[in-house]
Amino acid sequence: MKKNFLKYFFVLTLLILLINANKLFAQTYSISGVITDTKSKPVPGVNVFIIKTNIGTASDDKGNFKISELKNGTYTLEFSAIGYEKLIKENIVIQDKSIILNIVLKESIIQTEEVLVTAGKYKQKKSELPVSAEIIAGSEFTERNFSNLADAVRYVPGVTMTEDQISIRGSSGYSRGTGSRALLAIDGLPFYTGDTGEIVWEMIPVSEIQRVEIIKGAASSLYGSSAIGGVVNCLTRDISEKPLTIINGFYGIFDRPYYNEWDWSGKRRPFNGLTLSHSNTFGNLGFNISFTRLEESSYRQDDDFKKYIGFLKTIYNFSSVSSLTFMANTFNKRAEQFLYWKDSRNALVMPDKNLNDRIETNRYLFGLIYKNLINDKFLLNANVSYYRNNFKDNEIIPNESTSNLYRGELQLNSNLTDFIVLTSGIEGNFSKVNSSLFGNPVLHGVGVYSVADISFSFPLITSIGLRYDYSKLDSLDGSGMISPKFGFNYKVLNNFILRSSLGTGFRAPTLSEAFTSTSSSGIIVKPNPNIKSEHNLTVEFGLNYSPFNQLNLDLAVFNNEYYDMIEPGIDPKDGKVVFTNLVRARIQGLETSALINILTDQLTLSFNYTYMWARDLETGLALRYRPRHIFYSGIDFRKWNFEAEINFRYTSRVEEIDEELIDLGIVVDGELRVPVYTTDLKLGYNFLSTGFPLNIYLNIKNIFNYNYIELIGNIRPIRNFSFGFNLAI
Amino acid sequence: MNIKYFKIKHCIFLLVLLTAACSDHGIEPKPVLKSPPGFSGTIRFISEWPDSVKRSFLVVFKNPLKSDSDFTILNLKFLSKEIPLGVQKHEFSSLDSAYIPATPGPFSSGSYSYVAVVQQSTENLSLARKDWFVSGVYYANNDTTTPGVMIIPDSTFVKNININVDFNNPPSQPPGGN
Repeated sequence: MKKNFLKYFFVLTLLILLINANKLFAQTYSISGVITDTKSKPVPGVNVFIIKTNIGTASDDKGNFKISELKNGTYTLEFSAIGYEKLIKENIVIQDKSIILNIVLKESIIQTEEVLVTAGKYKQKKSELPVSAEIIAGSEFTERNFSNLADAVRYVPGVTMTEDQISIRGSSGYSRGTGSRALLAIDGLPFYTGDTGEIVWEMIPVSEIQRVEIIKGAASSLYGSSAIGGVVNCLTRDISEKPLTIINGFYGIFDRPYYNEWDWSGKRRPFNGLTLSHSNTFGNLGFNISFTRLEESSYRQDDDFKKYIGFLKTIYNFSSVSSLTFMANTFNKRAEQFLYWKDSRNALVMPDKNLNDRIETNRYLFGLIYKNLINDKFLLNANVSYYRNNFKDNEIIPNESTSNLYRGELQLNSNLTDFIVLTSGIEGNFSKVNSSLFGNPVLHGVGVYSVADISFSFPLITSIGLRYDYSKLDSLDGSGMISPKFGFNYKVLNNFILRSSLGTGFRAPTLSEAFTSTSSSGIIVKPNPNIKSEHNLTVEFGLNYSPFNQLNLDLAVFNNEYYDMIEPGIDPKDGKVVFTNLVRARIQGLETSALINILTDQLTLSFNYTYMWARDLETGLALRYRPRHIFYSGIDFRKWNFEAEINFRYTSRVEEIDEELIDLGIVVDGELRVPVYTTDLKLGYNFLSTGFPLNIYLNIKNIFNYNYIELIGNIRPIRNFSFGFNLAI
Repeated sequence: MNIKYFKIKHCIFLLVLLTAACSDHGIEPKPVLKSPPGFSGTIRFISEWPDSVKRSFLVVFKNPLKSDSDFTILNLKFLSKEIPLGVQKHEFSSLDSAYIPATPGPFSSGSYSYVAVVQQSTENLSLARKDWFVSGVYYANNDTTTPGVMIIPDSTFVKNININVDFNNPPSQPPGGN
């Protein structure tokens, strides 16, 4: 199978080269220039694109941009960036020569409209979406010393994490990595494992991320099975036109635990990370390459790790309208396995019988993305990917699992008229597993979709779509479903926007949910060959209002009805963990956010509150690991070259956890859980004005050394201090 | 709209939350118990062990076994390791290593409605009701008409939870068996 796959890769590459050979010699020109602010400082990361086309780029660290391979004609360019007013340059005429522009952007006090890619699988503005969406800027990772994407996602309104499992508006509880109700994609390539269907956050090279877009609510009509709760799309950095080397590192220590009983090591435990990355362009070929090493001596005993992340992105531009991207992401991890505490007096230590558990993981993702703007109306996007996962532990009889996931997608974006964009595609995947935990099952899946976004002049944008998915899980009966969606976005006033969406979602069980058979640390998991697919119906109504320039308010109410929701539980007859279909579950709530610019460009306050009511309608009990109240707030101050930020996060005490693990005496004192209050401080200084391209950061996380859990028997990181730097040469 | 109002209101709100955040430290270690609650006793086998018995356990259920549905793992609060086959006397304690709870330690105080010795003839350990046969029951206060309730007061280690097993004269079986 692997041989065949490589053969298809080769044939596809060759075909693309042939198709584009004629374009290599065409006479073309470019529009380039420098983007600065009103103080003549270069503005990096500005989105530049030609209106009514899919052609665009972003400015580099020195504010340079270049759109090349353009034919003679008249173009309208749009420049947009967070923190700046949008600028539109009309009537740029190319007549037998390239154009150079010097662009000056004015600072804005309210976040301008950003360009999104994920929501409709083509570029849309956030303010024009029918669904709620959030953006994390790539700079956050360096500035706040997030070495794992999951750490940043924790601060997104309406999103909670239970250890490494994401829950968008309460979509998921905790199932030790099995299954996910959110789809993670990297530059549009879905990123889930072939066996457990889980998201491996730690594999994403955060230093390579330009921004992360999070779409809330069922997105199955475009993205298929895994997107039943939402989508997280990571967009990697653009390739630099000139040589650019970035060195990014941090060193930190965990403070001593607040309680002496927990101070098992008697030391402050260190952690560190270093990333080297380089980007350059030679003619039509550009690349980003990076290598990251992370090491942690954990605040918990038997929880240390070493991780190595490799990343390569190369783009070959056949012309300004067609390109081929090759992406490789590798990950190696050697770690100890902390499952749960010994008891509350030994909360940072594992039970004696579980000491010295180790695991080694190797994961590889390879992808090819081909884009071709066939003409002003049609954009073709074809991508294939291969994702290999292997892990092995050190049990007496080792658990080992290898999964190979192959997938491909062909998508066509059509600007049928100036008012209608049609996005259609077909997607297929095949997964083969060889595992001591799940057996050797295979999974096939196929999806066909089409979504039309229609813009009216009043101004109303409607979105109507349909997707059919079919999934066949080894010996189980195949299952399929049609997922329709409908949404609208209505700009009542320039500062008042209404949005609403109605859609259904579908998720087939993962191989691990159906076939897991294992025993670990007293927990026995058994397979469920009768497990069925789950589906949901999502309704959202939202509004966005800016009563005056310094204030932006957003409100959304939502209701998710889940049918046959797959949740882990304990079979009372034998005490074994098994994944079963809950008959009905309901998650409803509201989400509010406020962004206040107290001092323009200097002092910003943000508040986000989410209320969630998540119930199993059969038993009337709350769904596990779903807090009822979530509140995030932040203060951000920037002046001169200095910046300071305080972030606060609160989630109410979750009502239901895995009570069976307490009843069976597996997790002693497992009933202990509290509301979450964490406060982080970041201080930063930028030396760029002195001519030295260096940023330094000091982070103090969990300032008040507050002890809490997200998962039963697992204390989250205690207070820690870290120093980081980012050097761009 | 008054911007100052917003500033003041939100700053106060944030301060209140920050104050709440630093006023306690969340989860804390439970205090050490002077006398951890638990139980111990002796099982006396007063007849010969049948050859059909493959394994035997001491079990403690929280709620009475009134119907088949009460026989669940979640009602089963103690499942000892196997009692050595053929012994005449077996002493036990809740501090011993057991299947349930998986981690030995203090046993939750409270009342437990059904304490018994059970036997199995299956090849492997089974938690299915049909594979369990009760060979002896704990009786309190010499009342052998109904199973005795084991009461463990707070911070008390209860001794003398004694059970007699007569394979030739087993007690009445709880519902749900063969």
